[in-house]
Amino acid sequence: MGKQYEIPLGAQHISLLEPLHFKFTTENEKIVDTVANVYYVHRGIEQACCSKFKFRQVSFVVGRVCGLCSVSHTTAYSQVAEKLIKIEVPRRAKYLRMLVIELDRIHSHLLCLSHVAENSGFEALFMKTMQYREFAMELLEAVCGNRIQYDFSIVGGVARDLKPEVGKMILERLKIFKPQLDELVDIYQNNWTLSLKNKGVGLITKEDALRLNVVGPFARATGLAADVRNEYDDLLPWKEVGFEMVLDKAGDVHARNMVRLRELYVSMRIIENIINGLPESALVTETKTFPDGEAVARLEAPRGELFYYAKGNKTQILERLKIKAPTFSNIPAMVEAFKGNEYGSAPAIIASYDPCLSCTSR
Amino acid sequence: MIKYFTMKTFFKAILNLFKKPVTIKYPFEQTFIPDDYRGMIGFNENLCIWCRRCEMACPPGAIVFSQAMDGKQTYHFNRAVCIYCSECVRACPKEGAIFQTNVPAKCALKEENINNGWNILYGEALMSRAAYAAEKKRLAAEKAAAIKTEMEKKEAKS
Repeated sequence: MGKQYEIPLGAQHISLLEPLHFKFTTENEKIVDTVANVYYVHRGIEQACCSKFKFRQVSFVVGRVCGLCSVSHTTAYSQVAEKLIKIEVPRRAKYLRMLVIELDRIHSHLLCLSHVAENSGFEALFMKTMQYREFAMELLEAVCGNRIQYDFSIVGGVARDLKPEVGKMILERLKIFKPQLDELVDIYQNNWTLSLKNKGVGLITKEDALRLNVVGPFARATGLAADVRNEYDDLLPWKEVGFEMVLDKAGDVHARNMVRLRELYVSMRIIENIINGLPESALVTETKTFPDGEAVARLEAPRGELFYYAKGNKTQILERLKIKAPTFSNIPAMVEAFKGNEYGSAPAIIASYDPCLSCTSR
Repeated sequence: MIKYFTMKTFFKAILNLFKKPVTIKYPFEQTFIPDDYRGMIGFNENLCIWCRRCEMACPPGAIVFSQAMDGKQTYHFNRAVCIYCSECVRACPKEGAIFQTNVPAKCALKEENINNGWNILYGEALMSRAAYAAEKKRLAAEKAAAIKTEMEKKEAKS
């Protein structure tokens, strides 16, 4: 056994998007042990939701938990609040929610892929992926009226309708994006320099993934079938719009990239199906009841399963709101997957987890 | 085979030199803004029925109504606190009284004192409303007392 060194990475580091601290114990170049510290951006959102804001306003507050999966948070909260006040959402609102969630997934996955490329030392691919990502941002702006904070789902339905010309624009842009995505898949799959940093790196087995309760693309890259869209069909009809689960076997950084890229095809197909078969109905169900009882809601955010718990007491203000973000579930596996890798490939591995610390610390 | 690929990428790289840039020259060229962009909130005083539902619905508290002693209400709006969710527009019972335009809001400046000034204004607005309500209550109580004394006088006469 050689001499061991402790190397800190973070909370401020050039390869990190958000404050995240890892302390690596290394032996020569090999990482033998890791300690993670993730609670740097605590903002007290749960407490604010239960004290300052009325339950209809909370959907706008939880949208500010995370910039990338904003619509997943608002939709999950809306679902839990709708269970508490016992109303059924109109069919058109459900479809529009799915549309925005899938558009959001496209831009979130492309962001993650671009950062994997950047952290692996492939700056040109980072630029290319970010360039192709722009169409998703513009489409989201056209649908929701804003690039980042969508505020699309409200309690009882959705805030805005989809205009026919915007629907047409989405289909046109997706047609342009398809060959670009093929090009990206080709580069991520076959590029030799990228494969040196990605193939066989950050490995985690299916058994470990199951034991450590991994969710999202991180789990699906190991072959573990963990997707809420596949399990629940009552809140949002995913199967109707052509959802298919994407699985890979390898469990390394490359497999995660491929899962994300292949999920983009599924997302594109879902969006096309939604726009071609959008049902006609009202947008919002209006009620004046107050939340009562307890409820939970699960939703597949771009990073994995998002879990909301809420408790009402027949007043305007909720008694308790609990948010469990996907990255929180992934932390034990994140620490595990570093073991045996070189310190130099740690940034690429971190980017491939797609960690979202704002969600985790809230 | 490898030679072919390297030659292909080489020519691609050369061709890229003559391509149009992907980025746009922002201040000189306008970025993409959709027709129904979530921009500034507008207010029409002539149509407003002064029900204050927009104030109750607003999540960040960017709208507040102050009240003068003669009962006339004034609308105050802070564009730096507003999140442009258009929840006020949905809450408004009178169409057109409060509406959303597609003009992006201007940046807040230091001279405007938009945070502290707004907190003071918000507190003063609530106090002005409370003062008006107290005044109204006092006047009502006075009126009731006057009627009561009149009635008592009448009773005493008869």
